[in-house]
Parts: sequence; structure tokens; C-alpha cells
Amino acid sequence: PERGCLRAWAAHSRVLVRRWTAARCGGEARQLRRQQRDEFGELLLRIRGLPAALPALPLELTVLYNSLLFTVGACDSAIKREAEGIRQGLLRVLEACGACGQDLGTEELWQKVLQEVTVEELQAPLHRLGALQAAWWLAAGRLGSVAGLFQLLSTAEEPGRSHCSEGQNKLLSLIKAWRVAPEGTSLPLLQSAKDLKEILYTTAAFLQGLQELEAGNFPTALSLLQEAAGGFCSKKILAQIYTCLGCCAQRMGKPQTALQHLKRALQVDFQCLPALSHAAAVYHELGETDVELQALTLLYEALGKNPPAAASSSPYFLIRTELLVHTPVLASLLRHHHPSEVKYLLAQRCLQDGRVADALEHYLDFLSLLQEGLQQQVPLDGSSAVPRIPEVFLEAASALEQAGRHQDAITVCEEVISRTTDLIPRVLRVEERLEQPECSSPGAELAGGLLSQKKESLCCLAWRAAGYLHQGWAWAKLGESKEAVTQFSRCLSDLLRLQLHGSGVKPTENLPAEVEVLQKIRLLSLIGRGTQFLELGRHKEALLDFQHSLQISPGDPAAASYLVQALWKLNRKQEAAAQWQKLSQSSPGENGQQRGQGRPLPLYLVSCLQQAMFPHSEPLARSIQDYLGTAAQDTS
Amino acid sequence: MLLSEQDQFLSYNGEVLVFQLSKPQQAEEADDKTTDLYVRRVVFNRHTKLFVQKSSGVFSMHASHSKIEMICCSCTTDSRTGIILPCILMKKKKRSNVKYFVLLLHSSNQFEPSFYFKLDYELKEDIRLFAGPSVLWRHANKLFYISSNTCVVQSAPVQLSSVVWTGEIVDEGTAVLGIRTACLPETEDADEFSVSDRAIWGSEFFGYAIQTQKMLTGTCFMPHAYSRVVSSVYICKSEKWKKQLRISLVAITHKNQLIWFQNGVPKGVCELPYEKPCSVKPAVTSSNDVLFVVSFASGNSCVVQRRDSLQVASKWQKVKCVLVDDFIGSGSEQLLLLFKDDSNTDVLSTFKITDLGEVNYASGINYKCDVPAAEGLQENSLLTVRALETRLQAGWTSVRELQQHLGLQKRVLLESCRALIDLVEERTHILPNAKEEGLVSLWDDVENPPHSLSKETSLVSKVPEHITEELWQRVVGDSLVVGVKLTESFYLSLSDVSLSLVMDQDFSSISPIIKCQSKIIKLNKAFSALAISSSQIEPPPKKMKLDLHSKNDLRKEFPKRSSSIQLDGAKTLTAVTSLSPLLAFHRVCCAVLLHARKQNHQNDSLQQSKIITVLCGKILLSLEDISNGRYSVKMLRDNSYCTGSVEDILAVLAVSVRFSFQIVSSDCTLTPVSSWLLGEMECTPFKECQDNIFCHKAGDVHGTIFNWTLKNPFEGVLTIFCRNLTVLFQCLHSLTRVLPPSCSVKLLRSGSKAVLTEQLALALEKEMLTSKNSLFLKETKAQNSFTLGNESGKKINSSPLASLLDTEEGVQQFRKKLQNEREESVRSMNQTMNGALYQKTALKIAEAQLSSDMIVWRLS
Repeated sequence: PERGCLRAWAAHSRVLVRRWTAARCGGEARQLRRQQRDEFGELLLRIRGLPAALPALPLELTVLYNSLLFTVGACDSAIKREAEGIRQGLLRVLEACGACGQDLGTEELWQKVLQEVTVEELQAPLHRLGALQAAWWLAAGRLGSVAGLFQLLSTAEEPGRSHCSEGQNKLLSLIKAWRVAPEGTSLPLLQSAKDLKEILYTTAAFLQGLQELEAGNFPTALSLLQEAAGGFCSKKILAQIYTCLGCCAQRMGKPQTALQHLKRALQVDFQCLPALSHAAAVYHELGETDVELQALTLLYEALGKNPPAAASSSPYFLIRTELLVHTPVLASLLRHHHPSEVKYLLAQRCLQDGRVADALEHYLDFLSLLQEGLQQQVPLDGSSAVPRIPEVFLEAASALEQAGRHQDAITVCEEVISRTTDLIPRVLRVEERLEQPECSSPGAELAGGLLSQKKESLCCLAWRAAGYLHQGWAWAKLGESKEAVTQFSRCLSDLLRLQLHGSGVKPTENLPAEVEVLQKIRLLSLIGRGTQFLELGRHKEALLDFQHSLQISPGDPAAASYLVQALWKLNRKQEAAAQWQKLSQSSPGENGQQRGQGRPLPLYLVSCLQQAMFPHSEPLARSIQDYLGTAAQDTS
Repeated sequence: MLLSEQDQFLSYNGEVLVFQLSKPQQAEEADDKTTDLYVRRVVFNRHTKLFVQKSSGVFSMHASHSKIEMICCSCTTDSRTGIILPCILMKKKKRSNVKYFVLLLHSSNQFEPSFYFKLDYELKEDIRLFAGPSVLWRHANKLFYISSNTCVVQSAPVQLSSVVWTGEIVDEGTAVLGIRTACLPETEDADEFSVSDRAIWGSEFFGYAIQTQKMLTGTCFMPHAYSRVVSSVYICKSEKWKKQLRISLVAITHKNQLIWFQNGVPKGVCELPYEKPCSVKPAVTSSNDVLFVVSFASGNSCVVQRRDSLQVASKWQKVKCVLVDDFIGSGSEQLLLLFKDDSNTDVLSTFKITDLGEVNYASGINYKCDVPAAEGLQENSLLTVRALETRLQAGWTSVRELQQHLGLQKRVLLESCRALIDLVEERTHILPNAKEEGLVSLWDDVENPPHSLSKETSLVSKVPEHITEELWQRVVGDSLVVGVKLTESFYLSLSDVSLSLVMDQDFSSISPIIKCQSKIIKLNKAFSALAISSSQIEPPPKKMKLDLHSKNDLRKEFPKRSSSIQLDGAKTLTAVTSLSPLLAFHRVCCAVLLHARKQNHQNDSLQQSKIITVLCGKILLSLEDISNGRYSVKMLRDNSYCTGSVEDILAVLAVSVRFSFQIVSSDCTLTPVSSWLLGEMECTPFKECQDNIFCHKAGDVHGTIFNWTLKNPFEGVLTIFCRNLTVLFQCLHSLTRVLPPSCSVKLLRSGSKAVLTEQLALALEKEMLTSKNSLFLKETKAQNSFTLGNESGKKINSSPLASLLDTEEGVQQFRKKLQNEREESVRSMNQTMNGALYQKTALKIAEAQLSSDMIVWRLS
């Protein structure tokens, strides 16, 4: 009996598959996969070296299927390119049937093949190949093409049956309705089409869920993701799906459900740390600071540990959901926080919550991380939670000050001041409507560059001024009023570099945020200097400062109170009483109004704001009341 | 001399021979009656790196220039001397016919006419010069040849479509490898891959030995399939081994591949870079590499190298011809590439000599040389980059590890410093415990599981009047199943429940077939043993609520009870017996008796429970009813459900063998199991109890009932109720093909390990309590031994119970200890005891020990 090529190829294919199934669990799986890919490639090359013939095509398509599986499995990274092999396979099918389709697109080619080729033996291999094509298209995000293909696959099998029931996702029901042809024993497959179908189903659900999540259709996204979570996938993917479910629920305003999902994600795969950071975010939203901080601490510790050497990459399946899902949405949802970032978040949250001692410790840790090496330790891209470094310094200074370590706070501020010295121009002119975009004009780009440069200068100015401000308050706390006055004066003189131009009717409306911050700093600085002048007994200068501050921020309760005090001390009691009455009448309503409007203050200014509060309102009120009482008696 | 398109080139002993026909002079074109054939011998000068003419010769023919043509040239053996000489086939057109003649060129540059032949048609296809010299050609699908010995045109008795090779084959002499339309053998095997190549592709190879005029089998060259694509062949080696031809060859195909065959089996394949390859020849270069030079119809050439696999080593475009010889005299062969050149028409002015190794000579710069195929190289560099990347990453990881380590050291130092400062300042140092805190509250599983059974719930009713709700019977296969449905309140107050079937008195007393009853009794015994075990597995009720999948817990408990099945809160007790012996009576009436131990929950001691026997009713069994299918089980497929009465399901379950498997997947979710059940096994859930699904697949497995309970996406318990072990193995075989390879499947003897260990703990506790109670009982009788008994009790309590539970040895050890202490106390007391009291105590202890022993057995 002569040895036919068909038999030889079949035998070769079987040997290759058997070798893989025997060795895939071993340690050398990756090496073997590459080798297998090459061998399957050569076998395919041999088969394609002969004219396409119908009796050989089932074998050829099966070898193609296995070979494509290895091209995916061998590189172990996501599928990117269009599968040229599938196209060639389809052309060979057409060649054998005496048709031609060189100039058709892949989708049209599939249509032509599935509609025109009716050979019974080719149906199962073609369907399997179709599943692979679907995998490729899913990876490319071409969900429409996938749906079209499955429509073809289903109608090719049972013409005239409509699968899509109401309320169900069309693609998912199409995939579900696709009947996998039974696997023949004569031609073993490396991964059964049944597995492939399950993987496709999970992937399609996951991908669509992510799409809906991005589009903001949360209920749909939720149901799709839940469908995906019930599908066939690895631990890693399941954890990711649960994380996405958690995010979805969070955005729907269901924090408890979100927590449930995130908890499940961590139960499935503790390496899914994004779930933990999302959980922290949910707790933040819920206002449960204790738990949030615990979660962040846990996250920090987990990030510090090395993940167990990638044991999770399962070598058993060549095509996996991991390889098919790689959308930017998922990447952003699963963004891994850097340890230093988490450290900063801890520090910031503690400071915001008034846990000064903890905050201080975290800030110091973070600063030491910075010293160890900025570039490796802290990601400074746009998506990072860490703000600009001077702000971190200022926040740390704020924490130090609140903890009573004034000298240290002064040192930290000195660092900020010295670093920003050369970065601020002598005069900084700021027009109103600085932020107005002018995309249409040709010079827009240049203007944009200038704009960002100006913004940068404004930031530097704010940091520097805030540095002086902090120093001033710190010296004040140390009882060194003279030194404090110096620092406040420095702050104010630096602020003079800023020149505002514009109509100036309502200054806070159209000004950039930085300018608003600068105004606040000026206010706080003036109040600070005024208080120190009061300490030093230089009441008149104090009065001037308080008057100035009231000009900047009319109706500011602290400034107004201090003004009253200064007037009182200057023995201008009548004026003081009048001011006080004005203040006490207006204060509750306007105060609230002022607090409510405007942008939130930078965290590093919060402590200064607290320090600028007028401390002696009770005794002052009493003495003024007394005075008013006696005055009333006098008049009566 | 100028070159023209018709010039022929030949390499011979390291020289290049250039054959040229004289150009007609413009003036006397019409009546010039002689045409000259020139030959020039050109050699390569290694110093000047140029070809120089060594000598030349000329041969004059009496014919006008337009009538004379060179057909082809080759180096062939002169059969008279055995010397290989250059020879050239010439054509001369005459009025009615065409004259062909072969010229041999001697080393003296003398041309010798060897032989000639006249044909009435022109040679066009597959013309070959070979040893003799001889000429072979194909005309009208026939093969013709002529040699200098015979000088007669002969034809071979074959029809052929092309000749792919002519040459010498060992023992066969000159042979031809041709392609013809396949003549098919009539019978074909039924196997799907045994379709022969000839049947698929419709053509075949054949070999023909010219001297012996015999056919050679084509398959020893190549598989017939390739006859559809092969355009040219070079046979590297031919040998006879056990009277079989063994041939290794390379072939080029229309599909632009070069394939290397050994003994008719393809061993390597290489894709060629250009379309339409037309010839292939080998070259043995200095590095002992075998190169295959492939020429293409488009004038391109490439070289294929054989290393690990066949690879295109180099390729050129605009090549006039490629010659292989030792041109530089180094002892090995080189390639000489002559390039087409329009501008420079001097002989051999644009050339390249190379062996793709060290030898590399080239003329001018006017040829085009493509960069060697870089794909292999690219891949190599890619791999290198990857390796480097990995090393980089490894380095990076270790650096990070070091950093972490340093950080840790720093923290330890810092902490020590703080501790030292605290010590100096006489403060108590508090270690930071942030880590423990951090781990707590995200995992707020809050409530602790209740450790003890809550007894309140079982403290219910007294003896209810109504104990059985229903009595039924079913016939499954060869078995009779009798079921008794109990009211729940009654069931809860019972333990050790069992059923027995007793034949009607009349029968047993009269007929001699009394022994039959004993069979039934025997069956009941086995049954009651199961009943004992089942009644004791009662999980703590509150624990269920803790689990997220609280619904599943009912199912989880289900497989553990083989004789009593929980459905709608009612308990059903079933008894199975072999049917056929009963049927011998034709009509038989049986009484169904329920045996149970009724517990008194006011006091936990076993002593106070009493054994009760209740008549549940009578069943009537007749062959007629059975034949009518009155008691048979009806399971029907109704859309996506399986309909069958609860009794039917219970009957099937009671008859089946039950196996539970714990399936754990380390990586993937376990969805393949359910898709296997619903897909391949064609299962549908019962309408009445949807946890259980019924297999409709035709064959042995039909009627098997499955229960698939997922604990979490990666762990589940599959319970199989099957008729026999064969079915079980069939199911498992089918299942293993579906499961991911990373799954582990474990047979659960009865219940999960966790439940069993808990039970063991309870049983041991009970055992301990029993013995302790017995001691105290004695104490009340004998006052003086108070201290001793108390002490022994303490000791037992303090022993680490949990650690002992895990192993059988642990349990044994525990027991031994207990026994020792008990004996010691008894000995130390050295007192007499009431006989009845002792009996009771011993019984109780034995019972307690028996139950814990049974659990240990099941756990092991």
C-alpha cells in the first residue's frame, strides 16, 4: 500500500497534538509552545504546497486551526494582527471548490464560503475556524463582525431560525445558539471548539459590559458583566470582572453592592489589587474613614510584597480570555497604584481627617521615599493621585505644624522657597479670561504654550507664598513675632509680583484657580501679620493690615473680628462697636454663602485658615456688649 | 565580442565556456551560406578579479544564419571514452524537415559532430542531453530518445504530461522521472485518510529506465500528490537497499516551494521568494554546506541552504544564468552569477562569484543583489531582545527586593531606637500593631459561627398521633422500592429510623417459601445501618445562614442521606428489595414496619430513649400490576424539564448507587461541568426538584441522575446517582475530557471533610461527656473520690482537642489517654459498683465510642 500524503499529514498532526497534551503541564511549556508553533507552521506549509483538494481540506483546516492556536499561545501576549492564516484557509477552500475570492474582504469571504460551500465534511472544520476568527475579531473589538459571523454560522446550520429573543443581548444569544460540531477522534484538537465557545461567550459579555460601562449604561453593563462572571474564565479574569462589577455598582450609587463585588474579586484572586484600591474609594465615598485607611494600609502592604511568580498564567489553554480583552477602559479600571502613591493617599486622607500624627508619619515616609529616588518611586503622570511635589511638601509642613513641630515645618517650607526662587518672574501679568481656549487662531498653539508657562509660574508663586505663610504662622506659634512679621511681609511682597489686568468687577468669577489661591494666601498673610503686629503692640499697622484684608475679602469673619479688636485696642471703641454690630448681623448668612461658593482650598492652606480664625470672640463680644450697654445708659 | 540572447554558457572544469553563433554581415545577409559556431574558454583570474579568455575555437556549418540555432548544451559522458565532455545540440531547419545534430567539444577546442537525426516537427518540450551523448524529448505526450550508439529515434511505451528529471540512477542506468495522468486502482479503503494521493490529485509519478526499458515505481521518488505541482527535480542520491530504491531529492513546485524528499517522504520545505521556479541545482561549497540554486522564469535566482531547516540564504534579481563550479580553484564549488546588463555588453563583465561564505568576488557595481533574507535574523534578534528584557526585569526585581529589605532594616532600627528611648525615659513601649488592624475590617465576616448546636429547636413535640403521611411503592428495574413519607415533627424526635417489610402472615405460615422473608429482612438490616448514619448528620442550623449561597446548603445535605430524602420539608424513608423473589408469589401483601428510637430530649442520655416500631401500612404487589406498569417509574422529557412524580425520583435515587466527587479547579471556573451536563449528557432538571438533573442521553448512561452544586466558581460537588459502576465510569470518562486539565477530582466517601470533622468533634465531645458523667454518677454513690474524678475531667478538657481531631492516630491517642485515666481513677477508688449501673455505663460508653469510630472510618 502506498503512503499517501493525507495519511502522513494526519499522522504528523496527531503526533504533534499528542506531544503537546503530554507535555503541556510541564515546566518547559513555553519553549515547547514555540517549537510546536514552528512545527505546525511547517506542516501547514507542506499541505499548502499542494493544490487544494476537497478530501484533504478537513485535515488542512484542522491543522490550520491548531497552528493558529499556537501562534496565539506561543507569544503569550494579546492578539493584535489580523489572522492572515484564516484568510488563506478560506481561499484554499474556494480554490478547491473552483471559486475565487482574492479580492474580497475577510467578512465577505466568510459569507461567500459559508453560503456557497455546502460540502458536509467541511462544515465542522469551517465552524471551528469561524470560532477562531471570532476570537480574532473580539480581540480587535470588532463586535459587529463577530455577530455577523455567528449569524452566518447559525443560519448555515439551521436556515430560517431566528435566535434572538427579546431583552437578551444579540451577540451573546448568537454565540449561545451556535452549535458546536462534535469533535472527531481522528483529528485531535489542541483546544476544543466547545472551550473556545465558552471563552468567546465570556469575552463577548465582558467586552460589551466594558463598552456599556464606558458609555454610562450602567444597568446594561451590570447585567452583561454578571453574565461574564458566570462564564468560563480564569481566576485572574474573574477577579477583573468582579472589579468591573464593583466599579459599575459604585457608579450606579450602590456602594454596598460594589463592596460585595470587590470583596468577591479579592476572594477569587488577591493579586487583583485594583479591587482593593476601588474598595478604598468606595469607603471614601461612604465617609468611613477608618475602613478606608485600613484598606489603603492593606493595599500598601500588599504592593510591597512581591506577587507570587506568575503561576496564574495557565498553560493549558492556548486561547484565553486574557488574550482577547485589552481595552483602554479595562486598563484604566485596573490601573495598578504605585506604593508611593498609596502612601501619599494615606497621608492626605489622614490630614484631611485631622489625624495629624498618622498623617505626619505617612508624609515623612513619603518624603523619604522621594529622597530614595524620585523617578523610580513616584509616577508623576496625569493619572497619578500624587499632586505636584511642592504641594506635598507644603502639606507635610502643614502636618508638622499641626503636630507642633514648628521648627521642622519652617525647614520644610524653606526647601520649597529655595527651590522656587528662580522660577518666578519679577512681574507676572495675568489677564482675565486666561483659560479661554482659542483653538481656531493660528497662534493658538504658541499661545497655549505661553499659557501653560504662565500657569506654571502662578503655581510656583503660590507655593512660594504659601511657604512664607506657613513659616510666618510657625514663627508666630513659636512666639517669635518679629520673625513672623518678616515672613508674612516676604509673602506679601512676593505676591506683589502678580499684576491683575481686566475689568475687575467681579474678580473671582473669571480668574484661574491659581489666582484665587493667591488671593487667599494674601488674605491669610495679612491677617497673620496683623495679629503679630497686635502682639507687638503695633496696633495701627495691624489695623491697616486688617483693613487691607477686608478689601480683598469683604466680610471675612476673621478679618472683621480682628479689625474690631484692633480698633478696640486703639481705643476707637465707637467704631469697633459699629463694626462689631455689622459683623454680628451679617455673619451667619454670609458666612455660609462664602463657604459654599468657590473652589475648595488646597489642602495645605486648610491649617492656615484654621490658624487665622479669631480666637477671642467671646471676651471681645462681652466687652463690646458692656461698652454698648454703658453707651446706651449714657445716651438715655 | 558582443553577447546576444542566444548565447549559451557552460561551466567545465572551472572554466566558463561561451558558445556563440556568428552574426550575419549586413551586406551579404541573404546569400551567406556558412555560419560559424564560436566557443571561448574563459577563466577567472584571482589577482585581477576578472575573467580572461584562455582560448577559443570555431566550427563552420553550411547553412544560412537564420536556419541555424543552438538548442541546449550540457556536459555529458562520451560513451566511447567515458570522459565527460561539453556537448551542444544544434538545430538546422530544412525545407521539409528539421535536422538536429549533437557536437562534442574536445579540449583542443575542436568540435566533433557526434550524431544527427531528422524530424518532421520541431523539438519544443522537455529536451534533455544526457550520457552517450543522447537526446531525449517529449512530443505529443510521448517520450522519444536517441543516442550516439544507436542513432535511431526510439520511443518509450508511456503516455506522459511532462519530464521533471533525467539522469543516472544506481543499477538502472539512465532514467527519466515523468508525470502522467493517474491510473486508479479500483478499490479504496474506507478509512478517511487512506484516500490515495492519486485519487485526490489525479496524477502520478513514474520512473522509466531507458537502457532496460522498464518502469520504476514513482513513490520511491515522491508522493504522487506532488505530481500536480513539481516542475523540476534534482536527485541528490540514489542507492539500492534490500532491493529497494532509496532516493533523496529536492523538487521545486509551482506553489513556489522547494521540498526535500528522502525515500519518498517530505523532510523539509522552504518557501521560495519568487514566482515560477524553473530549475534547481546543487552546489557544495567550502563550508561543506549543500546549497540549492533555484532559477526562476522571471530571471531571478535564489539559494536555499540546508541547516536545521531549509532556508533561503540569498536571492538576486536580473540574473542571466547561474553556473556552479570551482572557478577560483579553491577545491570547492562556488556560484557564478551572470547578470543581465544592457549597458556593458562585454563578455562576463557583470558577474559575482560567491559561496555564501568567505569567497566573494564581484565585478563593478552594476548588478543588483538583494539583502540576504533577513527573517531568520530578525527573529533571532527579537529573541535576544526578549532575553535581555527578561534579564533586565530580573535585575530590576532584585534591586527592588534589596530596597525593600533595606527599608525593613531601617524600620527595625527605627523601632529599636524608639524602644530604647522609651526605656531610657521610663515609658512603656507600645509596639505598633497597625498590621493586625489593617487586616481586620475589610473582611467583616462579622458573626462568629455558632459552635454548639442550639437545642431549643429540637425540644418540640411529644408523640404525635400521625406519623406517616404516605406509603408508596415503585418498581425500578429488578428492585422494589417502598417509601414512607413521615411527618416532620415526628421525624425530628426520632433517631435510627429504618423500615422493614414483612410478608403477610397467611402466606408465610402456609407455604414452604418462608425463607424468602429472611431475604427481605437481611436487606432491611443493611438499610438500617445507613439510616443510623443519616440521622446523625444534622448540620448546625445557624451555620447555613453564614454561607452566601444559603440555598445550596439544602442540596449539600441532600446527598448524604441515601435513605431519607428531604423534599418540601417532608422526610421519606425508602426500602429497597429485590423484586423477583416476591413476584414468585404472584400476589403478595407486605406490611411495612418502621423501627426507630424515640428520643427524650429533656435528658440527653441515650438510656432514656426507647425503641418503637410502627406499622406504616401494607402494600399489595401483583404481577399483573407490574406488567401493566402500574408501579413503574415514568420520566418524561418536557421541553427543558424532566417530569416525574416525587415518588418516581425517590425510587430511582433509592435504587441508584451514589457517588460524590469534589471537583476543584486551580485556575479556571468550572462552567464546563454544567455545560457538559446540559449539553453532552443531555440532562434536564426535574420540575419538582431542580437541583437534580436527569440524563436523557441514549445508551447506558440514560437514567442517571446528577446533582451539581457549586460552592464557589472554582469548587463544587458533583453527585452521581447511577445504576452501576460501569455507568459511573462512563460518566467519569466523559467528564474528564471536558474538565480543564488543572482540575482535580476527588471521591467523597460521605459528606465533605469539613462536615465530618465537625461531627467527629461533636461525637468525641459526647464520648467524653458520657464517660465523665459515668464517673460523676459513681461519685455520688461514693463520696470520697470527688477530687480524683474532677481532676481527670480537667485533664481531658485541657488537652488540645483540635489538634487531635485531624488524624486517626490522634483520636486513638486521645482515647488511650482517656482510658488510662479512667482505669486509674477506678483503680484508685478501688470500690465496688452496682452491677446494673456498671452495665448501663458500659453500654453508654460503648455506644458513644461506636459512633465516633464510625465517623473516623468515614473520614479516613
